[in-house]
Amino acid sequence: MKKISLASVLLLIAALMLSSVSLAAEPIKFGAVNPLGDITGFQTTRAMELAVKEINEAGGLLGRPVELIVVDDEMRPEIGAAAIDRLATVDNVDFFVGGMGSGVHLAQVPALKKYEKITVWMGAASHQVEIAMGPDADWYFHLHPWDYQQGASYGQGWTDIANAHPEIGASRIFLAYEEGAFGTDSYLAYLDLYEAAKDGEGPYGQILNDFAGASFTSALLGGGDYRAMLRQAMDFDPDLFIWAGYDADAVPMVAQAMELGFEPPLFVGAPPGWPANFGDNPLSDGVILYGMWAPALKEVSEISNHFWNEYIKMHGHEPATYFAPLGYTNIMFLAEAIKAAGTLEKDAVIEALRTIEYESPIGAVLKIEPSNIISNQGFTSQKILQYIDGEQHVIWPFEYATSEIKYPFGR
Amino acid sequence: MRNKAMLIVAAFVIAAASLPLFAGPYFLSVFNTIFVYMSLALTWDIMLRTGQLSYGTAGLFGLGAYASALLVAKAGLNPLVSIAAGGAFAGLLAFFLGFGVLRLRKIYFSITTLALTTVFSVIIRNLPRLTGGASGTVLPRALFNGDPGKNYWMIYCLALAVIAISVWLSKSKTHYAINAIRNDEITARSSGIDVFKYLLFIFVLTSTIQGVIGAFYAQQYAFVQPEATFSMNFLLLPLAMALVGGVYSTIGPVVGAVLLGLVSEYLKLIMPYGHLIVYGIIIVLVVLFMPQGITRAFAKLFTRKMQVGGVDSASLRD
Repeated sequence: MKKISLASVLLLIAALMLSSVSLAAEPIKFGAVNPLGDITGFQTTRAMELAVKEINEAGGLLGRPVELIVVDDEMRPEIGAAAIDRLATVDNVDFFVGGMGSGVHLAQVPALKKYEKITVWMGAASHQVEIAMGPDADWYFHLHPWDYQQGASYGQGWTDIANAHPEIGASRIFLAYEEGAFGTDSYLAYLDLYEAAKDGEGPYGQILNDFAGASFTSALLGGGDYRAMLRQAMDFDPDLFIWAGYDADAVPMVAQAMELGFEPPLFVGAPPGWPANFGDNPLSDGVILYGMWAPALKEVSEISNHFWNEYIKMHGHEPATYFAPLGYTNIMFLAEAIKAAGTLEKDAVIEALRTIEYESPIGAVLKIEPSNIISNQGFTSQKILQYIDGEQHVIWPFEYATSEIKYPFGR
Repeated sequence: MRNKAMLIVAAFVIAAASLPLFAGPYFLSVFNTIFVYMSLALTWDIMLRTGQLSYGTAGLFGLGAYASALLVAKAGLNPLVSIAAGGAFAGLLAFFLGFGVLRLRKIYFSITTLALTTVFSVIIRNLPRLTGGASGTVLPRALFNGDPGKNYWMIYCLALAVIAISVWLSKSKTHYAINAIRNDEITARSSGIDVFKYLLFIFVLTSTIQGVIGAFYAQQYAFVQPEATFSMNFLLLPLAMALVGGVYSTIGPVVGAVLLGLVSEYLKLIMPYGHLIVYGIIIVLVVLFMPQGITRAFAKLFTRKMQVGGVDSASLRD
């Protein structure tokens, strides 16, 4: 009896020890580098925290909790590079995630190549990053569409819209571009697309017949009078008018166009960010924009709806930038791959990342495919959105459309 | 006292040189960044000693970076040689620009040097075939293949050289000439000092160093991009470091760079969100309450304590 009770006590102790080991299991560490002083990086991090919370509430991964370690890159390349060193050698993370600006990420490339840990990077759209990373980094996964993929997707979008709505044409495009680097590069990219379209090739090959452009000084850089440029656009009489400037140009651009009576059938703005509450301005109605996500997606996508509600519940504010659902996607996609691999072994996780498909709150299924140089590219296209009655709606791709296009633009 | 000070400096130099033997890549990265900004802070301060407030640090840093990167990417030059070439290019350009900008004084000189950064950046952006335009240029590989220890030793040696130049200048006859120019240019001129010659010498010297540091930065991270390479951080942070440490000296920018570099990292550890606000407040408070800089404030405090303690202050000067 004594022997039995001693054995049972020993068993009990062993069981307790095992369970305590399981409870206190080493976490799987995700190391993120985000710019926390910027709204995109801030909301990305908040969305990542939501994803990690959901994963841990569901029992973690491989029986272990997930820990998210975030380092601020301060939008400075050297700080971003040091952050990779810190996460790899001080925090000993298992995976790298996050990321925003291309300039910061370019400086991180040598450090990432040094450690060769599995990296699922969500930002940095410049094709220079792809060149710097090279074709051999099989451990590197990039989620945001590259700059050239974005340009191609707009052409595809307008072709699809023109095919679906014969009354909508995009054969004459006028590009108004701010005279700095951002605008000038956009203009040069459109010139290349136009040259290809002349031979019936490229993303605009089926629709574009004529193209013109004119520069303006952005309101952000002391300008803000677009009348001379708008008069050139009026003389050209485009089907599709696009301006590539900054958020400070958004309201005065539409206001001055209205003032001159310039109401092209399609009025598109392509700044890197829009002014807060632009939708509240009556002038916004019918303005088209490019982006990866719109809050209205929650009406057509279950996962978008889930993300929207849970993000607000956890943080008390609405996600305002597509980097928020992209950050959530970043963590969830990696977590799904680890689950599918059933191990943290590098080759198995890489294989799982390449084979799984993840329905993302961004409004697309994430699947890895090769791009021009790297073999592991995630999303390949942006969306065409439109302000309708004060709200951003998706009008293309059609499978995620939350509204019909409002056409033509104008009062 | 002097021997003690020399011993302390020697101990710091040896300790810093041996850091890669026991510190990990992260700490080496942090100190690497500190040495980059320390060198820039010293060059900004050296120019300030002439009485000219230059805002061209970021521009010449960027020019050196671009010259070096393009020489490697387009001409296949050895990266180490390209770093020297980057500095030479920035110095040569500063020599020619000096004939124009050094005719200006005070706010006009400052605004012109600030504008130069924008001008360089715009030119680079508008030469896409040569420079890669707004997207920049990527190099085939990073300096020393990204080896943190070798990169650390490289920037450490460069920073030591800049410190040595600063110390040498403060002991040379140039020091007296530029001090005289700063205090009263007309009197200096009347005393036979060739004002333009000295200003040009200092402008070319500091620009060359800024170009070398920019070139090293470009080679270390293997890329150049107008937005990142001509960032105002390469002007504002060195300026803040020199002001916090104390201007018109070698020790001021050195201490300012080390202090702000370490404080920045520490704040980030203890408050991931909002650390930059605290960092900014610290800089404002130091500049407001210690306008001569931390080094002079502590030197005064130390001297006062020694006097209260009965130590002859004259012995401190030995």
